[in-house]
Amino acid sequence: MTTPAIEASGLVKAFGATRALDGLELTVAAGEVHGFLGPNGAGKSTTIRALLGMLRLDRGTLRLLGSDPWRDATSLHARLAYVPGDVALWPRLTGGEVIDLLLRARGLEPARTDRDVLVERFGLDPSKRCRTYSKGNRQKVALVAAFAAPVELLVLDEPTSGLDPLVAEVFAACVREHVDAGAAVLLSSHVLGEVDHLAERVTIIRAGRTVTTGRLDELRHLHRTRVRARLPEGVEPRLPAGVELDRDGAIVRLSVEPAALPAVLGALAEAGVTELTAAPPSLEELFLDAYRPPA
Amino acid sequence: MTSPHAVTGSPRRLLLRAALRRDATLVGAWSLVLLAVVAASAIATPGLYPDAASRVRAAEAIDASPALVALYGPILDPRNPGELAMAKLTVLYALALAALVVVVVRRHTRGDEEAGRTELLASTRLGRTAQLDAAVLLGAGVALGVGALAAGVDVASGLSLTGSAAFGASWAGLGLVCVGLTAVAAQIATTARGTSALVLVVLGLWFALRAVADVAAIGRPEPGAWSTALGWASPLGWGTRLHAWGEPRWWLLGLWAGLAVALTLLARRLADRRDLGSGIVADRPGPARGRLTAPLGLALRVQRGALLGWSAALLGTGLLAGALAPGVGDLLDTAGGRDVLRRLGGAGALGDALIGAVCALAGIAVAAWGIGVVARADDDEQSGRLELLAATPISRMRTARTVALTALAPPLGLLGLVGVGCLVALTLGGAPAPPTRVLGAALAPWPAAALVVAVALCGWAVRPAVLGGALRGPVVGWLTLAASVVLGELGPLLRLPGWIVGLSPFDHVPAAPSVPAWSAAQGVMALLAAVLTAIAVRRFSRRDLG
Repeated sequence: MTTPAIEASGLVKAFGATRALDGLELTVAAGEVHGFLGPNGAGKSTTIRALLGMLRLDRGTLRLLGSDPWRDATSLHARLAYVPGDVALWPRLTGGEVIDLLLRARGLEPARTDRDVLVERFGLDPSKRCRTYSKGNRQKVALVAAFAAPVELLVLDEPTSGLDPLVAEVFAACVREHVDAGAAVLLSSHVLGEVDHLAERVTIIRAGRTVTTGRLDELRHLHRTRVRARLPEGVEPRLPAGVELDRDGAIVRLSVEPAALPAVLGALAEAGVTELTAAPPSLEELFLDAYRPPA
Repeated sequence: MTSPHAVTGSPRRLLLRAALRRDATLVGAWSLVLLAVVAASAIATPGLYPDAASRVRAAEAIDASPALVALYGPILDPRNPGELAMAKLTVLYALALAALVVVVVRRHTRGDEEAGRTELLASTRLGRTAQLDAAVLLGAGVALGVGALAAGVDVASGLSLTGSAAFGASWAGLGLVCVGLTAVAAQIATTARGTSALVLVVLGLWFALRAVADVAAIGRPEPGAWSTALGWASPLGWGTRLHAWGEPRWWLLGLWAGLAVALTLLARRLADRRDLGSGIVADRPGPARGRLTAPLGLALRVQRGALLGWSAALLGTGLLAGALAPGVGDLLDTAGGRDVLRRLGGAGALGDALIGAVCALAGIAVAAWGIGVVARADDDEQSGRLELLAATPISRMRTARTVALTALAPPLGLLGLVGVGCLVALTLGGAPAPPTRVLGAALAPWPAAALVVAVALCGWAVRPAVLGGALRGPVVGWLTLAASVVLGELGPLLRLPGWIVGLSPFDHVPAAPSVPAWSAAQGVMALLAAVLTAIAVRRFSRRDLG
């Protein structure tokens, strides 16, 4: 068994009176794309800064590629690449200069990397001053610099938040290429479709704690299926206890636990259902369930 | 139709109120220090020169010294005690008020625009120039307010009403001109730093024009036409030409106000014509590839423009000092000049005093360079630029060492340039001086400047969690520098004990070249600066980023 890319348990970090991280757990296996989700202010960026050795944790154990991210920061940084959520660049330098600067900083000779190909693929004009770049273009600069480096771990903090859909597809392709080459990816994102598309597993956090973690298909399985059916007027299906029904004329809508599904389908059949659709929970519903603060 | 939630009050007033809230501490503290200096000078100076005869003698001595005239301007009406009391304040300290106004206006114009805040406001019902107007109004309010308070403090300290009013008006006038100047600069430059650089260039030019004109007029009852023209060409020369403490030329107030209004109108015109976020000069594309290496190559590239500007300014300062210094010889032929020279230590001493005074000022200026580098590092961290580099294999220690190096080494070179400029001008002027003597004098303030910068570095590295995190590295640095300068100025005036004045590093800089340029105190300061820098570098690699 290879070393996990990220192993975090019981992470605690307080800023004054606020606990940004409060016992967070996170495991990212080697070679997987891991979605990292949570509402604004949940502690995603704080976790990422701890992963990068920019914050010292108050408590908890954290291993990155088998090493301590605080103590071995520089040697670890040679093995990973990072794209911040809000990319700030040097206003007077051009995008090309910044890309080359970041590549040299990790000991690479820009000309011997895929830099030019990536610049082309992302549709970036590298001769413009960073001051004149839009948010999306600044993001492209950081993405090109990250993807041009052969690394074992990519840490991406909302990497596509400013990108148009076409560029977001280039991004997804680049992620897959790196995964195929053996890299692990931590993908923090609010773009649910993207996570659904790319990630095998997700961790959802709220208020500095891990709420849910697991394979996406398993998580789906734990959640309710939405059922929509057309019944003859005036017929009430005999539903198992606890299943709520929302009726609008001939159309009924139900939200059903996986365990109750056979009984519900039976009841609908008995009631003479003429039309039926059942949809697995969308990722969106998964998130909303997990994001919502406990009542 | 207005929405039920519409805010009351004009948008302009809203902006103004928001700006005031942001500036209250800065403006309050800065004005208080300025007014304290006014009060101390107004109260203490008449005690030092109790009668008209002593004031006239002092005025003659000052007027005969190119160093003092270059820095403060001439003493014109010594019969009025106010003239001598406000001698340093009329021109030189008026620049402190100018600096405050520049900071205030810059912050709410190009500063906000660079940070993207203007965009947010420009999308509301506020007009295109609303923010510029608010900044100008605020700056004008600060200038007029501090000017009025300064006049009030003078009157309360027992100086004459007319003179005090004219003096306060001269401060307000220069302040207003600087409001307009900054407003224009903020339209031309694309960054807040660029804005202040432009303003500084103009102010430096005005100061140099005035200094040359005033020094050229020394010992001549009827100054030549060219020096008169030079003096009038500089708004910084108007302060003494107002004759505040004699027969004030009140029409001069119209000159200040007129220039201020003209500059403000120009700024509005420029603002109305350019795109949001752009300057007057468009950004040109640059190289698609870079050869920079982090962190030193990057630091040098980012600071290149500023370093070139500073080099030119300090070389120019040295040239000016060297050009003015030999003029002292002419004094021997003027009435009373011989006596003054003898009392101050013989021929050459006055020229030396000018060079020494300029070097001391350059020492304070290069400390500001170092603090500026610390401010850049702090800004990199706040904006998230540092994060990009900190995630690469460059160690935190190396990042910190680069900041320390670029904050401490250029000051040494810049001071050297003052010396070189001085030497060149002296040689061209036919009064060559031993290079080691002049260069020694130029480099003498470096340990003191380095110590102040090292304190700023420590503030940046330690980032004390007091005052809600407001005490950032650059703030620590600016406070240290301001306290050192104020102590040095007020100490002798208030007859503070030597150990208190001695807290200012600049108090331990020998007044070279009149005395040897190196002392044990400088060695101690250099050592202390080295120790503090080492602590800062270690400490930075151990704290949280961001």
